[in-house]
Parts: sequence; C-alpha cells; structure tokens
Amino acid sequence: MTQHSVLSTQHLTHRYACGRIALDDVTFALEAGECIAIVGPNGAGKTTLFLRLCGVLAGKPGQANVNGLDPALPEHRKKLPEVVGVVFQNPDDQLFSPTVEEDVAFGPLNMGATPTEAKSRVAEALNSVGMPNAGERVPFQLSGGEKRRAAFAGVLAMRPSILLLDEPSMFLDPRGRRELIGVIRALPGTKLIATHDLDLVLDTCRRVLVLDSGRLAADGPTETLLADAELMEKHGLEVPYRLRR
Amino acid sequence: MTLAFRYRPIPDSLIARWDARWKLAAILVAAGGIAALNHLTSAAVALALGLLLLVLARLPRMWAFSRLLLFAIPTLPFLLVLPFTLEGEGWDISIPSFSAGANWSVHVSHVGLSAGLAVFCRGVTIGALALVLLGTDQIHHTFAAAHKLKLPGLLVQLTLLTYRYAFLLADEFRRLRIAMRTRGYRVRSTRHGYRALGHATGAMLVRGADRAENVTAAMRCRGFTGTFHTLATFRTTFADVLGFGMLVAATIALVLWDRAGLS
Repeated sequence: MTQHSVLSTQHLTHRYACGRIALDDVTFALEAGECIAIVGPNGAGKTTLFLRLCGVLAGKPGQANVNGLDPALPEHRKKLPEVVGVVFQNPDDQLFSPTVEEDVAFGPLNMGATPTEAKSRVAEALNSVGMPNAGERVPFQLSGGEKRRAAFAGVLAMRPSILLLDEPSMFLDPRGRRELIGVIRALPGTKLIATHDLDLVLDTCRRVLVLDSGRLAADGPTETLLADAELMEKHGLEVPYRLRR
Repeated sequence: MTLAFRYRPIPDSLIARWDARWKLAAILVAAGGIAALNHLTSAAVALALGLLLLVLARLPRMWAFSRLLLFAIPTLPFLLVLPFTLEGEGWDISIPSFSAGANWSVHVSHVGLSAGLAVFCRGVTIGALALVLLGTDQIHHTFAAAHKLKLPGLLVQLTLLTYRYAFLLADEFRRLRIAMRTRGYRVRSTRHGYRALGHATGAMLVRGADRAENVTAAMRCRGFTGTFHTLATFRTTFADVLGFGMLVAATIALVLWDRAGLS
C-alpha cells in the first residue's frame, strides 16, 4: 500500500468451501480518485474480489485494506458500507424496496440518518443520476437503464469514497450505455469497474487490471494493455474495435 | 379474477386519507369481529358495511370485483354443502328418478342454508375489508404502519421483500414459459409435460435461491443489520380517531347483537 492509496490488496487469496480457488495471490493498489477497470473472462474472480473488498465474503485478515479498514475484521466490516459502495451486476438484486425512494433511502437509514436527512440524500442521489422525479416509482416497472441508475443512486446516497461497479453496462441498450458512461464519469471518488465491455473501459478508465483464473495477469495503462492482441487473446478477451489497426 | 396487487395510483378518498395505523387497527378489529358472527342477519349487515367501505374507498370497480371473487369462491362449498347436511326444518325437493317406482327427494334445511349464507357473507366482508386496506394505500406504507403497531421489523422486511420479488419471479417464470413454448412445449397431461413443468419450477427455485443470496449481499453492503427502517411518516388527526372509533363501535355493536340472538 502506497502513501496515497485508498484501496489495496496484499497477496489476496480466496478459496470457496468447495475447494475452488477464486483469487490467487492478487496484489494491487488504487490511488484516491483513480478509476480502474478489472477485465477478464467469466469466472476470473472479479465478483469474488468485490465481495471480499466489501466484506460480504469472509477471509484472512491483512490481505486487503479499504481506506484503513480490513474487510476481514468484524469490527471494521460494520464501518465498510460508509466507505465502499457496490453496484451489483443485476440491478434487480439491488432494488429490493417497493419504491425507488425507499430503496435509495435504505442505506442512509441503516447508517442512522434521520428520515429528513435520508430524504435529502435521496433527492441529491436521484438528481445526480438524472432521475429527480423517480422517487415514487416502483423498481419493477423501471426500464433496464433506469434500474441501473436507481441502483447507482442507492449506493451514492451512502456517500462512499470508493465505488465498486460490477458489470455496470450489462442489460443496457446503446442509449442506456451512453447515459451510464456519463454517470460514471460524473461520479466522484475512487472507482473500480469489473467489466467485459472494453469500449466502456476505454471511455472511463486510465488503468486496467487483467484478471484470469483468480490471478492478476497484467496491470497497466488502458490503451497499452487493451491494444495488446496477444495478451487479450491469451486471457479470453478481444482488442476493442477502436484500437484495431 | 386475479391475485396481483401491482402498483397503481391510489384513488383519492376519505379512506385513502385515513392514517394507515388507525385504518389498519380498525380493519383488523372489524375483521376479527366479523369472523366471530354466527347469524345470517348480522353477517348480512356486516357485508353491507364492508361493501359500503369499498364504495367509499372509490376503488376501480373491476379491480375490486375480480379480487372479491377470490374471497367468495372458498366460501361457496359451505353454501353448497351445509343446506343438505345440517338437520332441521326446511323443504323437501323431489328429484325425478329413471328407475320405475323409485322416488328420490332431498331435504334442504333452513338452518343449513342460513349457516352457508352466513359463511359466504363473512368471507366476502373480510375480503372487502382486505381490499379497502390494500387498495387505499401503498403496500409499503401499510406495512410501515404495521411496524408502528409493533409488528416485528424483520417480519415486515421479509413480507416486503416477498412482495417485491414475487413479481420478479412471476416475470421470470413468464419468460421461461415463453422460451418453452418457442421450443414446442404445450401443457399436456403427459409424463413429458409434467417433467418439463417440474424442471421449469425447479429452475425457478434455484434462481430464487441464487437471487436471495445476491439480495442478501446487496443489503449487507448497504449496512443492513436486521433492523427495519422506513421513510414513512404518520400524523394522527381527530378524523383518524373518529374513523377508528366508528368502525370499532359498529363491529362491537354487531357482535353484541349477534350474541344476544338478534333480539
């Protein structure tokens, strides 16, 4: 962990109960304000990494540091939701309340905010994702893009300094995807994006980590790594159309 | 006839403006009292009261009627069976017989018919009250009110999650059915038909369990520790208390009248 890093892992390893090793000796660090992408084939360990970083999956202490908190320690884990926000792959997993307003307020209320304070955070978060009048709407009746933005709002309302976005462009049409890129660019704080969408990576991240079979295969500038046809092919990826010569 | 209580605008009415806590408490008391009625006359008066509340709620007619049928249907067996099984004064109805010399007749008792109709009235009245409760406020607001009335928060949270994901799973099942139909599946009473339906149901259950795990992770990431919180706020006015008092008083009067043998 460098002096300015807000998130780092040191030889992070995760083995599931069935014996499968999902993460194997992963070491990296994120500086404050950085936006980094994690790319890799299905089953590379991207989601497991996120679940370890936000403390949902238990692990050995000392392998991860999130803004000074160790997600493996129960006393630190309680404070993690205020520091790190996770936007999950499928927004339907995240929008569990009967209305968008109740859903966005879920986190702040859990953190002890008063209803008045929570309402003001809801308004602020919905504004920042371009859905100022969606509070009374029912998540079930939102479009794919709207669900994704409502899920973002739910996380932004917690005001986390670090955002983990798991496959944010999944289920989105081109318009929804374009809107999402705008939202990601406008989001404050440090961002870690796990995705297969390499064009989205080109539009939003300056640095890329390549994860394959739980191991960190490469770490470097976005355009350099994504243009490396051999590296991309070796790890089940493709050079984005824009970088093909 | 349908079970779904999908989101729709709540029509403005006196009952929609009634504080959800007082409304819930009054309707629970009324439902309990009506379930305890024995006589047809008191049950019929209760039904009239229930239908009056339904009218005051200004719910869409077809919406209310189709759901009211759901409450009426389970009471029909009582209406069809009790008149023929309970003894007492009544009418003898002759049934023509195909065999020469045989003479069939069925006895319909007053007591049985009255008991069957009372069950029908009670069932429909309780249904009407349930529709008034569910149709005049958003479901999460009603459950927030239940929480204020000391229903455990975890139970409220679980009910709301069930409500939210019931629609989602129903939608997934619809997509699964379409996928099956496009591959030639039709519901038939064959071994293959039942197997395919079993597999589809199994797939739904597995997806449901998978989704439950993901939802749990999402909730924990946003600081959920088992405590139910809500943005819903409540304010009691004199009209709320008056409404509660009137419905509870009417229920008590009905029960006492019923217990006194309708004298």
